Amino acid sequence: MAAPPLLALHRIEKNHGGVRALRGVDFELHAGEVHALLGENGAGKSTLIKVITGAHRPDGGTITFAGQPVADLTPASARALGIACIYQQPALFPDLTVAENIALRLEAPAAARRIDWPARRARASALLARCGARFSPDAEVRALSMPEQQLVEIACALGSGARLVIMDEPTASLTRLEQELLFAVVRDLRLAGVGVVYISHRLEEIFALADRVTVLRDGRTVGTHAIAAIDEPGLIRLMVGREVAQVYPPAESAPGAPVLSLRDVGCTASGVHGVSFTVHSGEIFGLAGLVGAGRTELARVLFGLTPADSGEISLDGQPLALRSPRDAIARGLAYVPEDRRRHGVVLELPIAHNLTMAIHRRLFPGAWLRFGAERALALDYIRDLSVKCAGPEAPGGSLSGGNQQKVALARWLATKPRVLILDEPTQGVDVGAKGEIHRIIRRLAKEGLAVILISSDLPEVIGMSDRIGVMRGGTLHAILPGGSDPHTVMATALGAAA
Amino acid sequence: MKRYFRELSVLGALFVLLVGLTIFAPAFYQPQPLLSLLTREAPALVVACGMACVIITRQIDISVGSVFSVCSVCAGLLAARGWPLPLVLPAAIAVGALLGSINGLLVAGLGLPSIVVTLATMVALRQGLNLIRQGEFVNLPEAVQWFGLSQTAGQLVLVGAALAVLVALSFALRHLAAGRVIYAVGSDAEASRLAGLRPQLATFLVFVFVGALTGLAAMMNLVQSPQIQPLGGAGLELKVIAAVVVGGVAISGGRGNLWGASAGLLLLACISPALTHLRVEAYWEKAIQGTIIILAVAAEGLRGRRGGTRP
Amino acid sequence: MIAGPANTTRGRRDWKAFLLSHEMLLLYALVGMWLFFYFAGTTTNRRGIVVGFGTLDRQFDILRHSCEIGLLALALTPVILTAGIDLSVGSLLGLCAILFGHLWQVAGLPVPVAVVLTLALGAVAGGLNAALITGLRLPPLIVTLGTYSLFRGLAEAITRGSVTYTDFPAGFLFVGQERWLGLPTQAWILFLVALGVGLLVHRTTYGRSFRAIGFSLEGARYAGIPVARRLALVYILAGLIAAIAAIIYTARLGQAKADAGTGYELFAITAVVLGGTSIFGGKGSVVGTLLGVAAIAVLKSGLACLPVVMRMNAAEEMSGLLTGALLLLALTAGVAPKILSNLRSSSPSSSSTP
Repeated sequence: MAAPPLLALHRIEKNHGGVRALRGVDFELHAGEVHALLGENGAGKSTLIKVITGAHRPDGGTITFAGQPVADLTPASARALGIACIYQQPALFPDLTVAENIALRLEAPAAARRIDWPARRARASALLARCGARFSPDAEVRALSMPEQQLVEIACALGSGARLVIMDEPTASLTRLEQELLFAVVRDLRLAGVGVVYISHRLEEIFALADRVTVLRDGRTVGTHAIAAIDEPGLIRLMVGREVAQVYPPAESAPGAPVLSLRDVGCTASGVHGVSFTVHSGEIFGLAGLVGAGRTELARVLFGLTPADSGEISLDGQPLALRSPRDAIARGLAYVPEDRRRHGVVLELPIAHNLTMAIHRRLFPGAWLRFGAERALALDYIRDLSVKCAGPEAPGGSLSGGNQQKVALARWLATKPRVLILDEPTQGVDVGAKGEIHRIIRRLAKEGLAVILISSDLPEVIGMSDRIGVMRGGTLHAILPGGSDPHTVMATALGAAA
Repeated sequence: MKRYFRELSVLGALFVLLVGLTIFAPAFYQPQPLLSLLTREAPALVVACGMACVIITRQIDISVGSVFSVCSVCAGLLAARGWPLPLVLPAAIAVGALLGSINGLLVAGLGLPSIVVTLATMVALRQGLNLIRQGEFVNLPEAVQWFGLSQTAGQLVLVGAALAVLVALSFALRHLAAGRVIYAVGSDAEASRLAGLRPQLATFLVFVFVGALTGLAAMMNLVQSPQIQPLGGAGLELKVIAAVVVGGVAISGGRGNLWGASAGLLLLACISPALTHLRVEAYWEKAIQGTIIILAVAAEGLRGRRGGTRP
Repeated sequence: MIAGPANTTRGRRDWKAFLLSHEMLLLYALVGMWLFFYFAGTTTNRRGIVVGFGTLDRQFDILRHSCEIGLLALALTPVILTAGIDLSVGSLLGLCAILFGHLWQVAGLPVPVAVVLTLALGAVAGGLNAALITGLRLPPLIVTLGTYSLFRGLAEAITRGSVTYTDFPAGFLFVGQERWLGLPTQAWILFLVALGVGLLVHRTTYGRSFRAIGFSLEGARYAGIPVARRLALVYILAGLIAAIAAIIYTARLGQAKADAGTGYELFAITAVVLGGTSIFGGKGSVVGTLLGVAAIAVLKSGLACLPVVMRMNAAEEMSGLLTGALLLLALTAGVAPKILSNLRSSSPSSSSTP
């Protein structure tokens, strides 16, 4: 290709509150090319996308679009250049029709203009037909399923005459048929000379669609290859790397008796089905998998947020029927959620209040608050987990990510659980705190807790777990021993041939 | 069909009520009392159109009653001083718009919740008016009555004007880009901002607009009675909000239309005379009104609409 | 009992924050206002007797008149802490007053029984709000707007719009019109309820739940807090306290009419917001609410003692006008810090996790 690339990113750097998300990423896209972007969670894909769409300003490096250097990219200027992104979560107006949503996205805002509904409807119909959508442009967006909403987003991108379309995990919730239609749309885009950045962890799709593939790992580009020049094992090798970056605290004792047993557990609403495994006391059971595999959904089922409607869960041999988090806590389960700021810690409340939020019945009998006992408990945990704070009365929002995570963890440790489910416990946490949290987790296991560790950090889940359950598509596919080859784990997570 | 289920069910309820009246109280259908009923409700209909816009953008305005009173008194004083009606009308609208802009600035500019802001302005305006007027009525010159026309002609003009507002606004909400912005902002303010629609400006203008319409309604009321009493607008806000909510405009914003709101208003307005004709005592009116609001909102909630958020 | 973290350590920094807290600022304003009205509104009449604002009678009057609104404000504090609202408390006061009058005069029940039944009915009415809000997940605003109309309407219907219940026994009127141990009787009831609500909000796990729900509904659910039960509690409690206010109102006036409590909800909400409780939920205190009630009561009564206002005979109107203005000021002051910090930092790139 003699023409200059449509998009060229050179040595892009981006820091996020102390964490180096991108460390010198190079990326190039030509017009009429489908370029896949591959990498495990946390490798930097989302940040890179935000840089391309102008949502984030890079701390270093250069961006060139259609041969012209772009200095200060903003979402508005990116849109003006013709850069469109189709996210997993569509940003549509739920109460308005599809036609109106498309129109609002594509038309320039003007107050006194008379709406031409037939034209809007016709345009929407045409775009929807190109996407293979089978719903009417008069349908309310609220009534559409997620994949259908995604198609509306794609229709908007098509309609806006975008020159560069980014698709972020577009097939995550599509049926086979819908996927085929999506591939046809992507091929159409390519023929029309649009550059497509295609993010997916489904290797079969990448090999079916892409012209080139770039693999990111730890914020760096570790390889860019023509699709014909690489195979699945090669891709996996690039994604996973050879060295194990950290040393994890080893297990000090063998696991004990079984504590939590799942047999064919499922919840139709959240897509989880047929999950079976057992966690023992003193064991760290890792749950690995990629985005959309259903790990958080499973945790929510176990914790009673979205109760199971099939299969059996038993605790110490007794069947468990949980209908709310309160039930779960009463039976000895604890869940440290993934979204720390929204579900893990109430930022406006003091650390002490956050710590005692789940143990009101135990610490404060008769509902009467005991400040002395609360303060003592808080100081205990602050010391025990080395939380760096101004004191137990400091608000949760004043802490760094790592320390917030420790407070979230402490809240659940205070419930003296039998089973502790950790969902991405070290996400967004600095290296020092990460190590501390790992040591804490290992210590908890030693004290007899059964720990389920959900993590997208492959070295972490491999290094910390005694056994690793690999989930994909809402079900558990395999249980691998701890310390397995990352290659094997990733391959299982991808459903690829190892 | 399914999309307009709420509006159709309100129309259905209204239809049932009217049919019931034909059977049980045919005296209801005398032309003169009916016209009087419509004329009496014409100002409320105009305000309801404005209120519907406010609620669609996910806000609320309970100060319309006080704004109505203030505009009435201002217009009355001007008319009593001999100003010709064609000048009094824009003055009333301007006063209403000005008062609406206060609400708009506080809600859109400072991000304060509209329920509390309009609660404060409602009381401040009402008490301020009482302070200045001391409960004194404004006597209007005869020439003002019914625009100087005969009563029937004047009534037809008023009803026609209200219908004109209804039709024009319905058209604007459906076919003008500015009207669609209201739905977008009410549906998702953040998405509106990202789409370049300026939700803050839209919210501000909606409050100004409902104030202006309230001024117009005050004028429509002015020509109907020989004097203006300062407490004239009491209870207007509840009546109008009830009508709008019953008529299918969702309190969570983003959906509803003026036809449903009008049907809701008529339904509620017919209750009082229906009660009279059915020999039910008038003091049941407020209780029935409240029950209808609750039933309407509960029905909306049971159908699984988005709800339960902050005021 | 000050809003915010439990008062644990007392460094110098904490003293300064305490002295500048919302409640303390309100206290300074209250004291200032009181002094102003004392000097501007107290005179000596021809016979050498002190009249006006500075008399003990007047102060007791302030106390007496502020009890009902004070009770409603106390009822609303937990509700607003959970980021909810209840517009129906004023109407419920009217309905309960009527029910009490009806039970005593028409059904002939002895006063204590009628009181207990009225309280129960108030709680049931609150339960209606609770059922609609927590059971059907409807927005509190519109639900309580509906019950605002319904309760008042029921009061009007029961009294056929005109009946007034009077001739209550002197023993009952004692509650509203006499003094007990030096203070107006209803003041003791107010203190008792204030103590109860204060303890509930600041010293029990329920109060903690309210704040957690107000700050983060989902976060509270994840922590195992029974959100629906707690929300039901605040609305039922509000109904109960409104019923208590109704009893006191009836005792004070010696009669029960359907328009009892009209417009009280505004003053109650103003008192709560004035007192530092955030309308968005989570932040607030009972002491602040009481100070807010005091501020409104002093304002209203003080204005009536000013010669210029007395000449205009406009005490009611001025106090209403100023209360509305005060509410807006308090709200603006509440969001001012957020707006100022938004203006200061206007960088486009947000810092979310990669």
